[in-house]
Amino acid sequence: MIQVPPWVRETFDNYLVCEFTTVKSGRPVTMPLLPFYLPDSGKFVVTSSILFSKKAENVKKNPKVSLLFSNPEGSKGGKHAVLVQGIAHADDSDLDHGWEKYLSYWRKKEPYIDAYLAEREKFGWFWKRIVVQVEPKKILAWKNGDTSRAPEEFGA
Amino acid sequence: MTSLDYQRLGNFRYAVITFIGDDGFPFSVSTDFKILPDKKIVLQKPARPSKLDGKRVNVLFNHITGLPGGGYGDRRYMLVWGTTHEDHGTLRFEPESLSEWDEKILPFDQYCAKSAPQGAKYLGTLQASVEA
Repeated sequence: MIQVPPWVRETFDNYLVCEFTTVKSGRPVTMPLLPFYLPDSGKFVVTSSILFSKKAENVKKNPKVSLLFSNPEGSKGGKHAVLVQGIAHADDSDLDHGWEKYLSYWRKKEPYIDAYLAEREKFGWFWKRIVVQVEPKKILAWKNGDTSRAPEEFGA
Repeated sequence: MTSLDYQRLGNFRYAVITFIGDDGFPFSVSTDFKILPDKKIVLQKPARPSKLDGKRVNVLFNHITGLPGGGYGDRRYMLVWGTTHEDHGTLRFEPESLSEWDEKILPFDQYCAKSAPQGAKYLGTLQASVEA
């Protein structure tokens, strides 16, 4: 587990979205996603509906991914930028329920999610979700988001 | 490429440059950008990586608005693939292809409906692997 200072950890906990990149045929594909940080393992989880599952297909072919936390909009705390590079695993063994164990994390970032869940039948395929877990290998962090300076590195 | 709407692009606050590093991992970094009157996109050069001249990259322009009760809305992004060229301490970005979504243009439920073929494809792949 890579140890990081409190301001980096707070960024992981508080930022509502990250920019998640997979690799397809040698080129990057970056999408905004809702990330969950698992404090006990230091891993990250994103979930993906099968409707938007190209990222999971990419992960199965190439597990090298990154998550950039650069957008503090709607979150508490500082304005930092943190890049996580890691190895991803896509788990689609239980599309209907496998992601539910992360609902408590989801509610913290999107409190209205239960209203959508109440209409689960209406968006059936949206709720068929793949769990992508990322084990960090390297973390680079720019305090105050100043990327004109060199980042602090952790786990390199 | 699909037509890039420079007016909408100019409404984003910042850009995220991503490329594949020598170690095979994606490397993303946020930076400021501006659009010149002749529609050239100029990115502020970040400290890392040190060389981005001639790099094949994608640049994500993403926006959300935080909601008072938590969470966010007003989602929109433009993901543009292209090449960066170092130019007098900045990066000139030559766009080549585009993927985008703006929930004010394509509401989320319609976006889901439009994406059904990808869902069907994924389920089909899983079914095939079970039957194999």
